[in-house]
Amino acid sequence: MSDHHQEPFKVTTPELDQIKKKWDRRNFLTKTSLGIGAVALGSLIGKNLLGKVAGTMAAEGSAASLEEEILRAIPHFAPKAKRVVYLFMSGGPSQIETFDYKPKLVDMFGQALPDSVRQGQRLTSMSSNQSILPIVPSIYKFNQHGQSQTWISEMLPHTAEVVDDLCIIKSIHSEAINHDPAITFFQTGNQLPGRASIGSWVSYGLGSDNKNLPSFIVLVSKNASKDQPLYSRLWGNGFLPTEHQGVQFRSGKDPVLFLDNPEGYDGADRKEMLDYLSKLSTLQNDAYGDPEVDARIAQYEMAFRMQTSIPEVMSTADETDEVFDLYGPDSRDPGSYASNCILARKLLEKDVKFVQLYHQGWDHHGGLPQGMAKQCKDTDQPTAAFIKDLKRRGLLEDTLVIWGGEFGRTVYSQGKLNPTDYGRDHHPRCFSMWMAGAGVKPGISYGETDDFSYNVVKDPVHVHDFHATLLHLLGVDHERLTYKFQGRRFRLTDVEGKVVREILS
Amino acid sequence: MIIAIVLFSLTELIGRFHPVLVHLPIGMLVLAAIFQLILLKQKTASLGPAIHITLLGGMLSAIFSATSGFLLSTTDNYDASLISSHQWFGIAVAVISIGAFILNKQQNKYTKWVILLLTILVIITGHLGGSITHGSDYLTKVFSSSEVVSNNTLRKPIANVQEAVAYTEVIQPILNSKCYSCHGVNKQKAKLRLDLPDFIMKGGKDGAIITAGKADESELIKRILLGKDNKDHMPPIEKPQLSKSEIDLLHWWISTGADFTQKVKALPQSEKIKPVLLALQSAEKNEEIKLSDIPDQAIEKADDKVIQKLKARGIAVSTVSQNSNYLSINFIAVDAISEKDLDLLEPLRKQIIWLKLGNTKLSDQQIDMISSLSALTRLSLERTSITDKGILALQKLTSLQYINLVGTKVTAKGLAQLKALNKLEKIFLYQTSITGTDWNELKKTFPKAMIDSGGYTMPLLEGDTSEVKPPPTIKK
Repeated sequence: MSDHHQEPFKVTTPELDQIKKKWDRRNFLTKTSLGIGAVALGSLIGKNLLGKVAGTMAAEGSAASLEEEILRAIPHFAPKAKRVVYLFMSGGPSQIETFDYKPKLVDMFGQALPDSVRQGQRLTSMSSNQSILPIVPSIYKFNQHGQSQTWISEMLPHTAEVVDDLCIIKSIHSEAINHDPAITFFQTGNQLPGRASIGSWVSYGLGSDNKNLPSFIVLVSKNASKDQPLYSRLWGNGFLPTEHQGVQFRSGKDPVLFLDNPEGYDGADRKEMLDYLSKLSTLQNDAYGDPEVDARIAQYEMAFRMQTSIPEVMSTADETDEVFDLYGPDSRDPGSYASNCILARKLLEKDVKFVQLYHQGWDHHGGLPQGMAKQCKDTDQPTAAFIKDLKRRGLLEDTLVIWGGEFGRTVYSQGKLNPTDYGRDHHPRCFSMWMAGAGVKPGISYGETDDFSYNVVKDPVHVHDFHATLLHLLGVDHERLTYKFQGRRFRLTDVEGKVVREILS
Repeated sequence: MIIAIVLFSLTELIGRFHPVLVHLPIGMLVLAAIFQLILLKQKTASLGPAIHITLLGGMLSAIFSATSGFLLSTTDNYDASLISSHQWFGIAVAVISIGAFILNKQQNKYTKWVILLLTILVIITGHLGGSITHGSDYLTKVFSSSEVVSNNTLRKPIANVQEAVAYTEVIQPILNSKCYSCHGVNKQKAKLRLDLPDFIMKGGKDGAIITAGKADESELIKRILLGKDNKDHMPPIEKPQLSKSEIDLLHWWISTGADFTQKVKALPQSEKIKPVLLALQSAEKNEEIKLSDIPDQAIEKADDKVIQKLKARGIAVSTVSQNSNYLSINFIAVDAISEKDLDLLEPLRKQIIWLKLGNTKLSDQQIDMISSLSALTRLSLERTSITDKGILALQKLTSLQYINLVGTKVTAKGLAQLKALNKLEKIFLYQTSITGTDWNELKKTFPKAMIDSGGYTMPLLEGDTSEVKPPPTIKK
């Protein structure tokens, strides 16, 4: 009775505590302000939508419902591609030795690169102090292949065979000149780390038809020189919910780490444990509404389902010798690029939405002729076989295949120029990549570069444009797949990107 | 000279205060009227001085407003008729407010009638002023249908652009959405009107804006193409800008002679403008990819209850696109398909066009249950237990365009049962029981279809013979 007046005035009932937990200051502010914002947005969108959109938004009054509205609208149009496989050639393969045929360079061997071509373009510090930037043509010959009569380097004889299925983009260009920003830019749409990767966006926007496997799976070749590092943030989810990050499958006994039950612990025990864990998490989350808890529940459940789905999909026991022969001798060696291609095909057959292969070793600052020879040998046949294999299984119809690196290489030699040995520095202004399969015009080349393969002269395709086109093929309008984080909405293409309609079939 | 400039900008400055000042007399004079009304009802004597002071304020502010309004009307270009009536009503308000103030001071018994008149004048003047700034249809717009509300609504597609009259159907809509708000009926900034052919050809206060046949020399195009940092750029930077294709269309129209009557097909068309014109046939923001295997006719929405039931079984169901009710269904994550699952498909038979049953344990008996899904255009049955017997059930799927039978026991004979499906375009038959000469038979059975037999190989190349590794040992 004495001094309870001095206690701060506080009402505590169990119901109010619930509300307080769920609606702490930060939550309250985000959710209520968004609720009001959503109503305002609803009225902006238009009268016919007003009832529907604003009604549901106001009723729920939470940020989640706005996100749901965005996701519910997907696919914005009928998708041509239902799956994507991205063969990422890390390090920056030379366009001059692969797809961008420049016959005039032969006569200019050893001459300095004219300033009128370089136009003050910044160089990396690896070649900026060279006294001369000597032009070097491809040491490899080019031949015309297929009905499209496309020029392809002799280093890619197998790719040349499937050239009528490819749409080669010779005018892709990037903004970054060094590996880390360039590869981060290509994978996430921004040079700085922290954004969500392409696969995560696709997983977030489209989900997966197969709940037994992750929607975004990453495979890294073991048989490549690790000249430039790869790191898991390249397939990270950034600000998107955690379950959309890429899951890396490894070769060997444990394709997915920590998936197997510990010894002496069987599936039934595991299931029981997970059920209880999920109950506990739900209990906790009822009060706090933290999306990370949802993600964690989803991850555990996915992992449990993967315990049965992974061994099946990773096993190549069912594959015939004919398949191994098609992909080449490496394909019997798990973890190699060829073997990963077979695995990727199996994952696509299981309707995994986005599969990304990484193959390192394309960073040829010196010793390019030998380096390219090895890289092409490791990847050429499996890549072509992959296209053929997808085709005969009826998968190329609705699967988009992408091949490319983070930038190209300079027309001038870095370091000493010998007739049989030279190197090339990083070159972001133009390089080649190709797409094949669903929705892409087969057997065409798009874009042109100048005689030096230094500048784009026709139909440039920016990295943002590539992303926009990729999403477009999946039935997603890149401007409408957004995610709000830290007060602004993010897109894979940020504020840019134009769909390259000319390459769409 | 300098003084003149200063004076001129001073008048302009005062003039620009008009939109702010006008609210004062409106408020004060109406307040005076309200006080007068209260005074009539209940003789609260204390309100008398209040009327005096509000009338004084109203009178002074009305005089200032009228003056500043007059100054503003000399510096900017507005609809002349609206301006003149607004001006005269404004002056009337100012004059009568002086009268009202004096009468009130003399305690004249007609004061209340003068104040009533004044209120009516204030309302009319205010409305006219509003019409000048917001457009004369500002109030009535609310009642008209939503299409009219905004000038920025999406342009409707033109059915056949070549048959359309170039000016009325292509050019006028552009001018309407981007120019009329300042150069139309209500406002004629720089004395320019673009809503009628005669006005367009006459030009504005700086002369003609169109040189027929010479788009690049036409002021209209020049202004549009000026850098956005230039003050002469049109439309003003804060207003909606013209899109690239709109500029191309205007440029094309002027360079072909700025004709007001001809049809599009009568005007010369460069290769560059053709796709732009063609794009007018589709809706403005046409992102839709046209897929040949999605039927053209619209279909009613599928029963959501059924879809939820399917989803609960782990079957992936999605509409093929945002604006379509056609469905795509995928059984990839279902281990054992039960008859119940397939029963659920029946009510959705009009909507399902893509069905994937591949890599499942689907049997010949079960496949009977999908024979009613007559809308199907794509069917994936790869690596199922289906045989020739099951194929028979597919005979009714007359819309089928794509069928995937990779890794099944189907033979050429079984496949021949589908001969009547004349829409079939792609048949995938890798790893089936079809052999040797059967392929030729199949090509004859399906002359229009692409038949993929698989079995591709890679030629052995010189550089390939290096290291052949033994097959990995698989632990069981």
